[in-house]
Amino acid sequence: MVAKPTQSRFGASDRPAAGLVIDGAVLVRGMRVIQPALSHVIAPGGMTLLTGPNGSGKSTLLRAIAGRLRPMAGTITCAAPILYIGHADGLATALSGRRNLGDWAGLNGLPVDVDMIEAALAALAAGPFADLPVRMLSRGQRRRLALARLALSPAPALWLLDEPAAGLDRAAKAGLDRLIATHLDRGGMVMAATHAPLATGRTHAELALEAQP
Amino acid sequence: MTGHMMRTGNIISSLGAQIRRDIALGWSGRGQALVMLGFFLIIITLFPLAAGPDETQLRPIAIPVIWIAAMLASLAGFTRIFADDVACGWVDQVALSPLPLALYALARAAVHWALTALPMLVVTPLMGLMLYLEPAGMPPLLLALALGTMALTLLGLIGAALTEGARGGTGLLAVLVLPLAVPVLIFGVLASAPADGGIVTPHLMLLGAVLLVLLALAPLVAAMALAEAEAETGA
Repeated sequence: MVAKPTQSRFGASDRPAAGLVIDGAVLVRGMRVIQPALSHVIAPGGMTLLTGPNGSGKSTLLRAIAGRLRPMAGTITCAAPILYIGHADGLATALSGRRNLGDWAGLNGLPVDVDMIEAALAALAAGPFADLPVRMLSRGQRRRLALARLALSPAPALWLLDEPAAGLDRAAKAGLDRLIATHLDRGGMVMAATHAPLATGRTHAELALEAQP
Repeated sequence: MTGHMMRTGNIISSLGAQIRRDIALGWSGRGQALVMLGFFLIIITLFPLAAGPDETQLRPIAIPVIWIAAMLASLAGFTRIFADDVACGWVDQVALSPLPLALYALARAAVHWALTALPMLVVTPLMGLMLYLEPAGMPPLLLALALGTMALTLLGLIGAALTEGARGGTGLLAVLVLPLAVPVLIFGVLASAPADGGIVTPHLMLLGAVLLVLLALAPLVAAMALAEAEAETGA
């Protein structure tokens, strides 16, 4: 995709191919430069928490890694499958949570059965309201249904989470932390934009973005 | 570049899942399709009311009236093709899945056509009788209308994807799509009333050619427009 990186701190060649490598990515929204030259690496089993004030480009960076926004320059490479849960939950409001989760698994060709869907819903304590149309659910309940996808993820995936804990109650937050810990243990990767601590006790890198003038 | 959820995933099974979801969504939103059908019926019914029930006046305009009603009623539904999926973030999930965005767009178009245009075709013979169209004239009209509404839906697909994210929705989409639909209208109306009585006329073939070109191009153009489409809340 891309032009020469303007500034590079990490050479892509000497990094593990399975990880995420961001090399001199320049992120732009409209005519505004959000991040002038960003480099970062996540190795398998690693977690990076994205911090920074509102508007510093956390969501933009996650969308760029997900391939939903092209960097102006630099490269972002990741050989692992990517699972992205952004601000928007990706749920059809007319359908039930269970149906939404099954459709998502089908879309991604994941070999899941009824029991696995049930277990994924249980991981976020989303079972009790999984058969109601999503339009009847609260913000936090929708978030839990969106996050239930994580429980169906293939092992080596990179999870991109945008404020995953927003609106979650304590039980659901604990479920999310457990999913993240298991995922890291299996060699998965996580990059999460968050203002609150995630999976406390796990080692993680922090990538602090600064708001550009 | 960025990886898909499952590289080895079977595109066909992904497409099947997407189509099943579209059908379930279409069924739950069937009120919308009924409104469009009502719109179609009302536009046609207005003509006898305005022109009077005179057979010699109504019969010559029957086919153009049905075509224009089908175009206008279809137009009303095009903004819905991608709006919900972009707003709720489903398009983000499709973009990361094994399913190419072009096939996703094609699936949306196919289900949209089946849920909105097909009911119009079903009631068209009735509307034709109201406008003094001969029963023998129905088969060519229905065939041309079927191909024409498919072509229109594909044009609407392009318009819907391009106006996604642009402010001004329906109005902009109408201004964008209607001029492009002129060839469909011209060939469609001519093919609906074949002079020599045969159904497969050169006009029908030209209409079919337009449809095939759109079938090849529209999903690709829509996919390019959707490649970076973003929900408002995702900013």
